[in-house]
Amino acid sequence: MAAASPSDSDGSRAESREASSKWLDAHYDPVANIHTFSACLALADLHGDGEYKLVVGDLGPGGRQPHLKVLKGPTVLTESPLPALPAAAVTFLMEQHEPRTPALALASGPCVYVYKNLRPYFKFTLPQLPPNSLEQDLWNQAKQDQIDHLTLKEMLEGIREKAEVPLSVQSLRFLQLELSEMEAFVNQHKSKSIKRQTVITTMTTLKKNLADEDAMSCLVLGTENKELLVLDPEAFTILAKMSLPGVPVFLEVSGQFDVEFRLAAACRNGNIYILRRDSRRPKYCIELSAQPVGLVRVHKVLVVGSTEDSLHGFTHKGKRLWTVPMPAAILTMNLLEQRSRGLQAVMAGLANGEVRIYHDKALLNVIRAPDAVTSLCFGRYGREDNTLVMTTRAMHRTFQTDLYLLRLRAARAYVQALESSLSPVSATAREPLKLHAVVQGLGPTFKLTLHLQNTSTARPILGLLVCFLYNEVLYALPRAFFKVPLLVPGLDYPLETFVESLSDKGISDIIKVLVLREGQSAPLLSAHINMPVSEGLAAA
Amino acid sequence: MAEERLATRTQFSASAESQKPRLKKAPEFPILEKQNWLIHLHYIRKDYEACKAVIKEQLQETQGLCEYAIYVQALIFRLEGNIQESLELFQTCAILSPQCADNLKQVARSLFLLGKHKAAIEVYNEAAKLNQKDWEICHNLGVCYIYLKQFNKAQDQLHNALHLNRHDLTYIMLGKIHLLEGNLDKAIEIYKKAVEFSPENTELLTTLGLLYLQLGIYQKAFEHLGNALTYDPTNYKAILAAGSMMQTHGDFDVALTKYRVVASAVPESPPLWNNIGMCFFGKKKYVAAISCLKRANYLAPFDWKILYNLGLVHLTMQQYASAFHFLSAAINFQPKMGELYMLLAVALTNLEDTENAKRAYAEAVRLDKCNPLVNLNYAVLLYNQGEKRGALAQYQEMEKKVNLLKDSSSLEFDSEMVEMAQKLGAALQVGEALVWTKPVKDPKSKHRSTSASKAANFPQPLGSNQALGQAMSSAAAYRKPPSGAGGTSQLTKPPSLPLEPEPTVEAHPTEASAQIREK
Repeated sequence: MAAASPSDSDGSRAESREASSKWLDAHYDPVANIHTFSACLALADLHGDGEYKLVVGDLGPGGRQPHLKVLKGPTVLTESPLPALPAAAVTFLMEQHEPRTPALALASGPCVYVYKNLRPYFKFTLPQLPPNSLEQDLWNQAKQDQIDHLTLKEMLEGIREKAEVPLSVQSLRFLQLELSEMEAFVNQHKSKSIKRQTVITTMTTLKKNLADEDAMSCLVLGTENKELLVLDPEAFTILAKMSLPGVPVFLEVSGQFDVEFRLAAACRNGNIYILRRDSRRPKYCIELSAQPVGLVRVHKVLVVGSTEDSLHGFTHKGKRLWTVPMPAAILTMNLLEQRSRGLQAVMAGLANGEVRIYHDKALLNVIRAPDAVTSLCFGRYGREDNTLVMTTRAMHRTFQTDLYLLRLRAARAYVQALESSLSPVSATAREPLKLHAVVQGLGPTFKLTLHLQNTSTARPILGLLVCFLYNEVLYALPRAFFKVPLLVPGLDYPLETFVESLSDKGISDIIKVLVLREGQSAPLLSAHINMPVSEGLAAA
Repeated sequence: MAEERLATRTQFSASAESQKPRLKKAPEFPILEKQNWLIHLHYIRKDYEACKAVIKEQLQETQGLCEYAIYVQALIFRLEGNIQESLELFQTCAILSPQCADNLKQVARSLFLLGKHKAAIEVYNEAAKLNQKDWEICHNLGVCYIYLKQFNKAQDQLHNALHLNRHDLTYIMLGKIHLLEGNLDKAIEIYKKAVEFSPENTELLTTLGLLYLQLGIYQKAFEHLGNALTYDPTNYKAILAAGSMMQTHGDFDVALTKYRVVASAVPESPPLWNNIGMCFFGKKKYVAAISCLKRANYLAPFDWKILYNLGLVHLTMQQYASAFHFLSAAINFQPKMGELYMLLAVALTNLEDTENAKRAYAEAVRLDKCNPLVNLNYAVLLYNQGEKRGALAQYQEMEKKVNLLKDSSSLEFDSEMVEMAQKLGAALQVGEALVWTKPVKDPKSKHRSTSASKAANFPQPLGSNQALGQAMSSAAAYRKPPSGAGGTSQLTKPPSLPLEPEPTVEAHPTEASAQIREK
């Protein structure tokens, strides 16, 4: 995986079709079967052996079988199933002491699963949200049967219309019910306390107190509840909580938690909010007028990709610096950082299969992938410092369709063979037979030997017939139809017959051999024998 | 076998689903927003199929309570053009969480797209009650008012939007209002501010450049168009406008290189091919000019300017019958232009149909108000026919026009025209009363024959000037001037902004003649 191009020393795992001098194709696996996003890719030295691994939070085909995959070089090292779809995967150092092996954190649903040495280590769950107090009171009354269902419904609806704190799922469900169903529902649920749980939408890391590369980091979580949480790396307590006007989708952090930090959060409302250490609310706001599809910080510039097919550069105060149009929709973005050269650039995977690398406004490089790139990750992999990992979208789909097609064709052919009994091995369980034929001689007279074998273990077969079907203009056989003697299991019965070729034009045809059971018209077996051209006649 | 396995698999999932709800003991409710992030991620990547699959799953699991899933489903419906369905879903969202201004905004937007502007305004006003400081609401309200032609209200709302947060789009809308009202100066004012705010927006730069062009402030126009081209070297509108300006100044080669850039991007643009053709004409490559113009004519058979240019080139090539053919076609589309009749008359003269030539000239003189050439040509014809009195009348008419033009501007007249006029003047014995800006050469005695032969190629040099002016205006007037009703979808917000290029040059044919005079 090492790359040693004289102009540049980059390695690339996935491939670029055109031989560009900047990248070396290291490995390309079109059937890796990985469905993921850039947020779920991470490169880290998980075992502290200097061999960097690739961590993939894989959603599985159709988002149904989420797995945590760890790849070493081109092979999958470990693969473990996940309880729910991963929203983000990061690696971070959670303690100071040696050996400094990074832990792996996977955000999924309301939980963060922390792995050390690839073993489950800790599970952090988001605290429950405070329920609406009025709603709580109502259900308490319902519990003591002080309130009838219709009143409950009306009151809950009133809360839904007005209140700041939204209702719990339980109440929302209740509001949907018909009158007849309410009774049962209330009885079933009234003893439970009201719960409101939110989920994690995005996650990143923030250095705790040192800027070093191997310093401890806090986890920063964005939640569906429009909040940002900073977790302590050792105790997993919530160090800070900030609220946003929108649901965060992408996060970008710089600085250290204990000193000063800047946090940019791209939100679902199309805005990007910038917060600082002491601000509980956003300090600056960038309104994009389109949805952001990626957020990357390059030095002091925030680079945002928008659904309007363009990259925008912003200062950390939210002032627009530049805009670069893209030839196709942006699917994913990530940072390319080559430490040895101090180079930082933005990579953008486009729907047309290109990966474009920009340094500010300047286009550095274009990589053409065989398909639309859905996730990108650059960093140290194995022992190579500069590796680009890309996953593509339709590659797997194509493979899957091809595979299905192949299976379908095979099945069809098999069914056809069964139906026409074309196979040389009989399919029925009662008469397990094997047939093969040999043609000997140069012609015009050939000797055709049929080898019939009963492949059952114990049972002999009786009452079989052999029938030849052939073109009577071309061939003549002494007997076109004869009885087969009793077949003892395991023995090979050679049945010989002569075939006379009648044509002098050097043409040959197929002779069909059918093995039949007495009294049945459908053959048990059939074989097509390609007769050779009669040499003897030509010689004569 | 494979089919069997598939079948069992689907069975599996089906049975798993049927098992899920209604276990006897109180079930834990699924978290409604569990997969919102995934829905959003698929949505912004425009992977709508995957998005719909997740939405369906989510809605099944939450029995239709997941508001965000419905919201995105509605957005997708709208993108697919099912606006009515999207409207209904957004209304469901608004019921699920009535406090959310976003839902109302989307309801309003769907109403807006359905053309129900008044209803949209009502809903936007509702939304504005929930969220006072949203520029988007103000902006969209403004756009709605534009469609209702309540320009004052629209302006107020757009200014509000700008006050809350400045966006290019708001500037564009505001500029558009001024254009619709016909107030160029105010529009320029707005676009200037917009360019100040976002100096790299090529659309703003181009529009501003074209507005300057329309006002005849060429220096500034060129500056802004040039800026637009530095940011986007393939900007169709800017290149076309800049190219036609170069053409006017005779830089045919530079203009051609500019056009080459556009030709690959927009190969089927009639004004482009027209301009390329006229570049070749300026370079005296007539065959190339004709083939380019024919192409333009093929792409836009009803564009009289292209036909005019074709007629002109054919006149130059002395293919008078073809010239007549194209000119008469042009006249069918544009029956109110004196110059066209004049060219037709020239063609007829050369086809030796003097009667009809005279009638054409009479029509040209009737229609034309300021071009002395028309009268001069007519006078020459009349003189050649021996109708001295008529010729004299036309000559005097021409003098009037020339004096008028001299008073209004200090333009130089075409030297050949001046020469011809002087010859004719001498022949008619009116003397040199007329003071041309250029020194007069001694009119020698061989008037009659010269003027007769001259009359034939008369329109040639002059025509080339005119053609250039025409070529330019045809590039410029590519967009029809805003016809009062802005009923098209051009005024909508992205992402539904149509791809239809909407060039903003509004040069009128009068401008073309202004340029002739300028020469």
